[in-house]
Amino acid sequence: MRAYSASGEEALRARHLLKDWAGEGLLTEAQYQRMEQETVCEFRRTNIFLRLVLFLFTLLIVAAAVALFFVVVVPNSVRQNSGILLLVFAVVCYGAAEAAVSQARLYRYGIEEALALCSIGFLCAGMWGAFFGNGILDSRTSNRAESLVPAAGAIASLWISRRFGLPYAFLAAMIFAVWLTVYWTSSSSAQHVIVAAFYAAALVSIVAIRPRHRMTYLNQEYSIAEALLWLGIYVAINLQLSSFTQHGDWRSNAPIIGEFPIPFYWATFVLIWCLPPVVLARGLQQKDRLVIAVGAIAAVLTLATNKLYLGWQRHTWDPMLLGVLLTGIALLVRRRLDAAPDGVLRGFTAQRLSGNDKRWLNAGSSVFGVAAPQVIAASPQPDSPLFGGGDSGGGGATSDF
Amino acid sequence: MTILNRLEQWRDQGVISPEQHARLEGLSRGEPFSLFLELNVLLYAGVLAFVAGLGWTVNTWSQQLGDILILVPLSALLAASFWYCFSRAPVWSPAETSSPNLLFDYVLYLGCLTWSVELAYVESRFHVLSGQSDLSVLVTAGLFFFLAYRFDNRFVLSLALSSLAGWFGLTISHWPSHQDDVYRQYAILYSLLTGAAGIALERCGLKRHFLGSYLNIAANVLFWAVLSGVFDQQGYGVWLLALLAACGGSLAWGLTRRQFSFVAYAALYGYIGISAILVRDIHSFTAGLSYFLFTGIAMVVILVQIARRFGKEA
Repeated sequence: MRAYSASGEEALRARHLLKDWAGEGLLTEAQYQRMEQETVCEFRRTNIFLRLVLFLFTLLIVAAAVALFFVVVVPNSVRQNSGILLLVFAVVCYGAAEAAVSQARLYRYGIEEALALCSIGFLCAGMWGAFFGNGILDSRTSNRAESLVPAAGAIASLWISRRFGLPYAFLAAMIFAVWLTVYWTSSSSAQHVIVAAFYAAALVSIVAIRPRHRMTYLNQEYSIAEALLWLGIYVAINLQLSSFTQHGDWRSNAPIIGEFPIPFYWATFVLIWCLPPVVLARGLQQKDRLVIAVGAIAAVLTLATNKLYLGWQRHTWDPMLLGVLLTGIALLVRRRLDAAPDGVLRGFTAQRLSGNDKRWLNAGSSVFGVAAPQVIAASPQPDSPLFGGGDSGGGGATSDF
Repeated sequence: MTILNRLEQWRDQGVISPEQHARLEGLSRGEPFSLFLELNVLLYAGVLAFVAGLGWTVNTWSQQLGDILILVPLSALLAASFWYCFSRAPVWSPAETSSPNLLFDYVLYLGCLTWSVELAYVESRFHVLSGQSDLSVLVTAGLFFFLAYRFDNRFVLSLALSSLAGWFGLTISHWPSHQDDVYRQYAILYSLLTGAAGIALERCGLKRHFLGSYLNIAANVLFWAVLSGVFDQQGYGVWLLALLAACGGSLAWGLTRRQFSFVAYAALYGYIGISAILVRDIHSFTAGLSYFLFTGIAMVVILVQIARRFGKEA
């Protein structure tokens, strides 16, 4: 089922760990050299930046090639024929992705990833054109039949996620699942329930399968999938979040209670308070960084949407209280951990153990240090395009009082 | 063979000691599990949320509260933050230094953001620098640079660079609306200045690890500015030359220093700029698609060669 050999992926994981340990001084240079020689893997890889650029250019090539084909070879093709041709392109793209992996041994190289994702896009567009392009079905039959498109997209995404180990293909499958429910029912409540049920079913499967792969290279993929599913369930049940995505406005205090049955509305309110501790507990129990992060995000979102749910008035100092709470939790946890023998309490420590943590922090501090003040305050008053009017307090704050 | 099997094998072969094996095996299993990153993110989010609420509250309630009730708490917070940092900071060193504790960097960040809020309030209420209010931004940038170098803090360095950009009339939110010539020249001046300053400070041995922050910001501002010139309908020839020079420099720097973000900048910005000029004269849709097809293939071939030769490490 997997496009890559298990031994190769295990060797790659071992290489990453060895590099990290050597960087942290846990291995001598001689030890690292010796051990690295025994973890040679056959995959052709590249760094994240070239991977991204190769991904974008491959998308460009595929889009241009397909468009050129339609313009030059079949300029007046009817919609149904275009759909069939797109299905052919889906097969071609998928075949090219497989060949890139099996022949060129590309691994997270950008090229094979773009080809695999294009195959999903062409599959959906092709099915749409081929089966529903002529409009011969009546609207009711058509609506049900059209749900085959997102269903096929979800299945293809899951397959590609599993075959090539691409976590974002799993995310695409989750999005297709949301799309699918739109065809099944017009009831907004039912859509929320169905989406949450889909994700919950997938989560149960992953929770059941995952322990077998706890110490293998697959653990990271299951971790991402589980975190995405927890987040998906939370977003599906938090009605204020879906209201935000629909209306794009969170500033109004008007409750959306009228849009849903009252028992359903309050049931979701209870659930958004129950879910974050459950996710956090699961993440801590599994020592899973991503699941812990989702639990924390869900907790913050619950605090942020609580007043909206209740229809209470929000205050300008609410973010300050949230900030104090987050800082307080961080300090309390650190104090408890530092007070424990060797700084380790129940298998947790506040000390940095991996060079990756430092790299993430350095990258994050450079990016968010610039971006954050732009979020905090409005832009400086544009009196002069050259100097921003001088109304800025620096660091992005403004004199717009 | 999992990493645990490999570690056992290396221990049996005598490549690693039993103590190392125990330590590395524990780390592989997540024992102990480090919450270092999570605690840092919590502190960062906490400071950000606090200052966002602070700015919002000051903005909304300044009329009702009055100057004293605004300025006294802000000044107290500012003084407490800076007192904390100066009283606990380790001895200054030009090399990279670690923070004395987990909280330190975020107290400094809080102090800097509070400074910005208070300065903006003071300026808007009392017009202390009336007529020369740009000076406050420059002073703020100077203060942030000093604090970034004193306390070895990238957050504050980023604030300093964005404040300096603010002095040059640049803010991210203004990018789409001011693409005139003068604006562009100041953007280029800013990028050249920050890039040169970053390199000079690195050569002097002052916080060498800051160089990446300088160059990434400088490169992006430079490319945006030059690209905006390339997109002009007239007089774009000079900007095209500037773009080619910038791409060459970025590519050379990225390859020699193994910093592939600069290779990516050269490839993407260069392709967009050159394509903008070439596609301008292509009036056939087919020819346009052919252009993107063939140049796209050429770019992939070149990038694969670069990746093979220079960028193997994941």
